[in-house]
Amino acid sequence: MSTLRHHLAVVAAMARLGMAEAVAYRVSLLIWIVTSIFPLISLVLWRALAEDGPIGDYDQGDFDSYFVAAFLVRQLVASWVVWDLDRSVRNGDLSVLLLRPVSPVLHHVIINVSVLPLRLALAAPIGLAVLLATGGMQVLDDPTLWLLVPPVLALAWLLNFTVQLSVGCLAFWLTKAAPLFDLWLGAFLVLSGYAVPTSLFPAGLSEVARVLPFHAVLGFPVELMVGRLSWSEALVGLGLQAGWLVIIGAVAAVLWRRGLRAYGAFGA
Amino acid sequence: MSEPNASSETRAGGGLRRRRRRPRRAAVTGDGFEGRGALHRHLRLVAVQLRLRVLAALEYRTGFWSGGVLSLVWSIAGTVPLVVALEHRADIAGWTPWALCMLVGCHMIITGLFGALVQPSLYAAMDDIRTGALDYLLLRPVDALVSCLVADFEPWCLVEAVAGVGLLIVGMVGSGVHPSLPQLLTMALVLGCGVMALYALAVLALSLAFAALELQNLAYLMEAMLDFARWPISVFRGPLRALFTFVVPFAIMTSYPPMALLGRLDASAAVGALVTAVVLAGLARATWQRALRGYTSASS
Repeated sequence: MSTLRHHLAVVAAMARLGMAEAVAYRVSLLIWIVTSIFPLISLVLWRALAEDGPIGDYDQGDFDSYFVAAFLVRQLVASWVVWDLDRSVRNGDLSVLLLRPVSPVLHHVIINVSVLPLRLALAAPIGLAVLLATGGMQVLDDPTLWLLVPPVLALAWLLNFTVQLSVGCLAFWLTKAAPLFDLWLGAFLVLSGYAVPTSLFPAGLSEVARVLPFHAVLGFPVELMVGRLSWSEALVGLGLQAGWLVIIGAVAAVLWRRGLRAYGAFGA
Repeated sequence: MSEPNASSETRAGGGLRRRRRRPRRAAVTGDGFEGRGALHRHLRLVAVQLRLRVLAALEYRTGFWSGGVLSLVWSIAGTVPLVVALEHRADIAGWTPWALCMLVGCHMIITGLFGALVQPSLYAAMDDIRTGALDYLLLRPVDALVSCLVADFEPWCLVEAVAGVGLLIVGMVGSGVHPSLPQLLTMALVLGCGVMALYALAVLALSLAFAALELQNLAYLMEAMLDFARWPISVFRGPLRALFTFVVPFAIMTSYPPMALLGRLDASAAVGALVTAVVLAGLARATWQRALRGYTSASS
């Protein structure tokens, strides 16, 4: 019992640490908020384009719902372990984390998760204001499907985290790996449904984009939350998420283990 | 010596947005710096910095792939939303596909120049402000702002700008326009205003760096916002249109030049572009001077 209490205390302390780090640079926080409202600019844009009739199966209201949900999901699945890990490998800060009784990976998980409530608290009023301005959004109306939303969001978060962890581990060999993450990010912005729903893509490209991990991180949870998916589609999407997580998680685990050996060999 | 650092970091990172240490003393110790006119000094500084960076770029040719080809690929990938919109519509807010091709060309010119000239200098100068290395720049017999704005270049990123010029010409041929000389001049004028506005925004960001120091994500924000410059200004409504015309004038950078070539830009809009760019530049200069007065160096 006391070990459990001890673990909870450790987790709570680390969560407080993550929170404190997040609010320490207030200007950076502000810039991050501005960056994160980009889906809402997309909303205005596509809403204007859909003025004289729906685009594909999206009318103005559908675009409102889609992009507000995209904005919120992007907040909920965010993490930044790639930059932290990349830096701590290069300057040796990782050694300090390795000395602690908590795994550095778990450390990053807790630090990243602990800021999610803050992110949501900042994002929710913005989303709400947009909803008031545009006249509401439609959400999933099947209550049983809502049961899928928490696991889907958790998987999306884990996918994003493990991808970042994998790329960050490359820093063990490359010294600087964060720029490589730009490759993922560039493809993500185009293919995840962040800038435009993937179902509107030209035939062929759409089918390909929808099985890629980018869509599993953002587009799929969004489509689920605005009620565009049936039970069977939702389960297929969930399966894809799990499949990608197994693959990327395995890569991350291998890279992390081998990387730690390379890191020790460096003597950093 | 700082150059070996640059090589190892470049080879190791090979990333999109990397920063390099640069041999900045070379510009100062060059001969013939004293006793000439101010303009001569400034031009020489720009020429020396350009030459050094071009030499470095030719030395590290991986930059051709990471800086040139890759940014070109992103640029093309970034047009996917436009392509999607054209998939469902014959035109976008009055812009035919060929006119949009011209607009995307202008966008690539602007982002290419941003990646090659503006962003590297911005990163380098922000670094100097944070570390106090700005002291050395202030000692130069040239304007400190000029020193900051030529602090670094990424010549390979110009690949994107060149491709943009190509796309602009393709768009012109495709839409069958034969612009008259005044129309060409107007295009050059508004594109110039666009570049000026871009620099003004960069200087404003740089001035902010004096107060907040850790602001590299401000440059990232600018880069991310540039994605919206790929849409014609007529798509935007209300406050966003005003924002993108006067405050962050994407309209001047990407929409106005093709409109000038198509003969759809009226004189008042051209004058408005000029005024906006000049006002932004003046504001940037004033903010910079104010910020510089507050600079206390890092160690003192």
